[in-house]
Amino acid sequence: MIFFQAYLSGVEAQSKALGVDLRVLDSRQDAALQADMVDQAIALGVQGIIIQHGLTESMKEAAQRAVDAGIKVVAFDVNVENPEIPQVEQSDRDLARLALEQAVKDNGESWKAGYVYVAGIAPLDRRNETWVDVKKKFAGINEVAMFGTLDNPIANSVANQARSVLSAHPDIKVMFAPYDEFAKGVKIAVDEAGLSKDIKIYSADISTSDIAAMREPDSAWAATAATNPAVVGQVSVRVLAQLLAGEDPGHNVIVPPTLITQKDLVDKDIKNMEDLSAKLPQFAHADVAMPAWMPNPNAK
Amino acid sequence: MTLRDHAIRYGFILLLFGLIAYFATAADGFVSPQSAVFIFQSVAITGVLALGVTATLVVGGFDLSIGSVATSAMMAAAYVMVVLEQNAVVAVIACLLIGAVVGLINGWLIVYMRVPDLLATLGMMFLLVGLQRIPTEGRSIATGMTMPDGSVANGKFSDAFLALGRHRFDFFIPNLIPVSVVVLLVLAALIWFFLEYTRFGRMMYAVGSNERAAELAGAPVKAYKIWAYIISGVFASIGGILLAARLGRGDIASGNNLLLDAVAAALIGYAVLGAAKPNAFGTAVGALFVGILLQGLTMMNAPYYTQDFVKGVVLVVALVFTFALSGRGRR
Repeated sequence: MIFFQAYLSGVEAQSKALGVDLRVLDSRQDAALQADMVDQAIALGVQGIIIQHGLTESMKEAAQRAVDAGIKVVAFDVNVENPEIPQVEQSDRDLARLALEQAVKDNGESWKAGYVYVAGIAPLDRRNETWVDVKKKFAGINEVAMFGTLDNPIANSVANQARSVLSAHPDIKVMFAPYDEFAKGVKIAVDEAGLSKDIKIYSADISTSDIAAMREPDSAWAATAATNPAVVGQVSVRVLAQLLAGEDPGHNVIVPPTLITQKDLVDKDIKNMEDLSAKLPQFAHADVAMPAWMPNPNAK
Repeated sequence: MTLRDHAIRYGFILLLFGLIAYFATAADGFVSPQSAVFIFQSVAITGVLALGVTATLVVGGFDLSIGSVATSAMMAAAYVMVVLEQNAVVAVIACLLIGAVVGLINGWLIVYMRVPDLLATLGMMFLLVGLQRIPTEGRSIATGMTMPDGSVANGKFSDAFLALGRHRFDFFIPNLIPVSVVVLLVLAALIWFFLEYTRFGRMMYAVGSNERAAELAGAPVKAYKIWAYIISGVFASIGGILLAARLGRGDIASGNNLLLDAVAAALIGYAVLGAAKPNAFGTAVGALFVGILLQGLTMMNAPYYTQDFVKGVVLVVALVFTFALSGRGRR
């Protein structure tokens, strides 16, 4: 939800900068409805469509129908398997890589790790690939516990699991929780167990409340890697604009992530997402799909 | 008593001790005061919800809205403190009021509008899941959040409120027992005494076992039923307060998992001591049973779906105990 709000704000900002007449069709995570909405957009006579998330199975044919109707289409984080349609992606592998490189930098190449993972969720699966590679590369990294759940409120359920894991393995040094809700849960458990000085948490994604949690004195949450969802939204619109202008944005458009450490937040006095964009410029703007004529919504 | 009676009466308690013995040998660190306290803490929120739903089960009803009452109370607490910048007392009162009002409306729908309990509380569940998102247009609430009108919410969760989730009382060992566990134990004792030993509680059982007879005997059946839903709503909102204090944020959430775990605990409770009816002691033991299982399984690295599976097995076994073995389920 938080991701979608921020993504949409980016889409709106770039659309405004370009003078696009934007319609937002919210499928509320209903796969069938999302496909119907593509047909609805075709019937509206739009010039371009951005498809955000969804399932390959349900969106592939709908996307093809839009292309057949002469509409330019861009897909974000859903593979519609169509050479005509550019794929905008936040690189989950890079997210995980950045966070884990920081973990190795902070803790050396040999530690006991707890890992939070739920299989079958595409971004988490991609982040998992990197974790598997890192474990292969560093034989000293020993995953003693793997847990995770999406029972909501997620942070509360993960906190309960993490407490159990910590009592079984009090010698864990690093928790890799590559989704911020997981990291919040682990942090609650670490605090409750009184281990916040002995464990470090590495995660992915960021929000205002994550920033507050990372900034707490003695917070175990050491670093997170994140792509700014607003920037991803902006890039999606820019890619569509390039298509409509007859330019080739390339088939895979990757928005690079940023590493955010606890030290960055404290040293630069970053308290919320606005501060983060203002004080970490690489987080605020991605130089992706930026031909000379493209208006920059982030330019002050 | 025959062997069969003993099995029905003590079987589930024995199972509980067997489980503890098994995990004690299989999982390192399972037996320690901290671990025991943690099991209580992990079931505190669902336990409080379960005690509330027990009150509606007693009068022969059901409350599907407890999970969403809890998450709505959590959002209300966050809204009151972060957006309206009020203190902990106002936040707690707001939550309790929400619980009481929702319970009252549930009761009114069921008693006076004659909507079947499952349907009325199902409707209320949907209503609350939507309602809790309206004030912030679907945003979760945290200090420093940007409001729909572009302003920034600067209020904070007050320390007194957070203490409800984080403070620990000394008990032989310093900083051992969290507030949430004390709340669970106190509420469990209260509702147990209320249902078993007060006239009001006994009358609620009478309404549940035979509504018509209770009515003919001159009992104000409608009032008892409405009170049961108010108890359920207030308990659920207390669960929401504990949840907000633990998370330190207002998370939009349906609370469906809270509902399911709470209902499971209350139903497992039917089997405890062969009661074959909703009872507060059984509910508390049921919640603990689930907590012990999850703690042990997680410590042994079992993935989450096996935990759901095991929870389901326990529930089914408990229901078999209740309805088949005791033979009292048939009415």
